[in-house]
Amino acid sequence: MIVFEDVTKIYDPDVVGLQDFTCHIGKGEFVFLVGASGSGKSTLIKLVLKELQPDSGRILVAGRNLGTLRHRKVPLLRRNIGCVFQDFKLLPNKTVYDNVAYALEVVGEPRRSIRRKVPEILSLVGLSDKTANYPHEISGGEQQRVSVARAFVNHPPLLLADEPTGNIDPETAVGIMQLLVRINRTGTTVVVATHDRDMVNRMRRRVLQLDNGRLVRDERRGGYDQVTEVEEQEALT
Amino acid sequence: MRLGFFLSEAFGSMRRNWVMAMAAVITVFISTAILGAVLVTRDNLNQGATSLKNRVLIEVFIKDGATDEQKATLEQRIQSIPEIKSYQYISKDEALRRFRKRFGERIVQNLPINPLPASYEIQVKDANQVDGVARQFFDDPAVDNDPGTHNGVKYARETVRKMLGTINLVGIGMWIATGVFALAAVLLISTTVRLSIFARRREVEIMRLVGATNWFIRWPFVLEGFITGLIGAVVAAGFVWLCNWALANWLESSDIDFLQIRVFSMWWQSGSWPAGLLPTLAVLGAALGALGSMVALRRYLKT
Ligand SMILES: Nc1ncnc2c1ncn2[C@@H]1O[C@H](COP(=O)(O)OP(=O)(O)OP(=O)(O)O)[C@@H](O)[C@H]1O
Ligand SMILES: [Mg+2]
Repeated sequence: MIVFEDVTKIYDPDVVGLQDFTCHIGKGEFVFLVGASGSGKSTLIKLVLKELQPDSGRILVAGRNLGTLRHRKVPLLRRNIGCVFQDFKLLPNKTVYDNVAYALEVVGEPRRSIRRKVPEILSLVGLSDKTANYPHEISGGEQQRVSVARAFVNHPPLLLADEPTGNIDPETAVGIMQLLVRINRTGTTVVVATHDRDMVNRMRRRVLQLDNGRLVRDERRGGYDQVTEVEEQEALT
Repeated sequence: MRLGFFLSEAFGSMRRNWVMAMAAVITVFISTAILGAVLVTRDNLNQGATSLKNRVLIEVFIKDGATDEQKATLEQRIQSIPEIKSYQYISKDEALRRFRKRFGERIVQNLPINPLPASYEIQVKDANQVDGVARQFFDDPAVDNDPGTHNGVKYARETVRKMLGTINLVGIGMWIATGVFALAAVLLISTTVRLSIFARRREVEIMRLVGATNWFIRWPFVLEGFITGLIGAVVAAGFVWLCNWALANWLESSDIDFLQIRVFSMWWQSGSWPAGLLPTLAVLGAALGALGSMVALRRYLKT
């Protein structure tokens, strides 16, 4: 689904965003991106969205080479990628319903199917009773569920989440993560950048750890810290 | 294109940001009203210049004692001058009739003979050529000159030419003013729109992340600019027309009779440019608004 080959991104003066990064993320996988603040997680996600251009290396998303993708085709790429962010990125002047509907309007979905799909997805995330509210009228956890609903309403093959639980209390966070897991079960590839140690440790999914832009760990069923793994192995021997 | 969706987006945003929308409407109103005023004034000036030019007559008086041959030569001369638009022969009888009409019957009654000379009334094509054309008759033997003078040829010399010069100058000034105000309008509108888009740049960013194409993002803004421009311009057209109408009426009812103002057509002026006040300003305002939006959006829509 996502292929990075020797990708390097250096920000303007000479801040490392990503350095010689190579990895493959397969269809249907659920992957955690971990690493200290400033290690390059958001940079990676922005590269996949073609919000940023790499300085060198090759990025493929769903078989398409982003380096040769025309500017005009970028919106098409993004329609096939659902996005969830720490700050929700909801349109403040639109109701919950219209925020989700916007993602469908953008792809030219017929009015009738919009009217069917939006309530469907909102009930999936448990917000059937908040459809007419504006983002500022609902809690952070609810806003994040709206943004998950918007990301998934098109049933994109790929969903990226950048610290989706960063602004949310642990219990609500569990709910959001469960949503992401459910989405993953439908076959959607899910990539989650997070600092949520407990969550990563509990879920035991594939973990990619970054340090100063480099991939330092790629583990099938990893925990949040490398140390945990070493300690486990030490404990075993 | 999903016109319904884009329209509701545009109106929704105008309702939410109504202060900004009002500012934009007022901006368009002021600039198009000024343009409208310029149009009306220019039109009246042109009108004035035309009627003034038409009034530039050369009168060539004919000696009572001129022979038929001399008269024929004079007429041939008139016909041979290309700068002359038209001419009319005024016989002695016709001159007397006009005189009578203007000054009344009584003065004429006691005259034993008709003292008024026959004449040609000549109109030239261009008021600036009056002098040159008039000169050609100065020494014609058929012309009723007092000895040593050229008083048999009468034409408005300096005054008219000065007035025409002034009108030309004011006309040029008006054109320049039109250009300057049009430019000011574009700048004002694009600044206003830029401010409102700057306030919404986060929205634009989100739209792009969700996969909206540039035109999908642009349409509501462009429509908003279009509607804003249209409203401002229509109000301006009404305002200018009303002022024009009121002034014309006031002048007509007052005793200032050397000044006359024409009411510029609101709807359509067939065959002339620009068309009526409303269509001209509306097209202009709407185009300015839409263009302002596009220009202001440009930097937020670079991929
Ligand atoms: N637009 C930018 N211009 C310059 N440097 C940037 C820019 N964006 C990020 N960086 C730098 O690139 C490095 C990686 O940033 P990135 O946002 O990818 O980190 P992150 O892993 O997402 O961190 P966090 O966990 O705090 O979100 C950091 O050193 C950051 O300061
Ligand atoms: Mg980040």
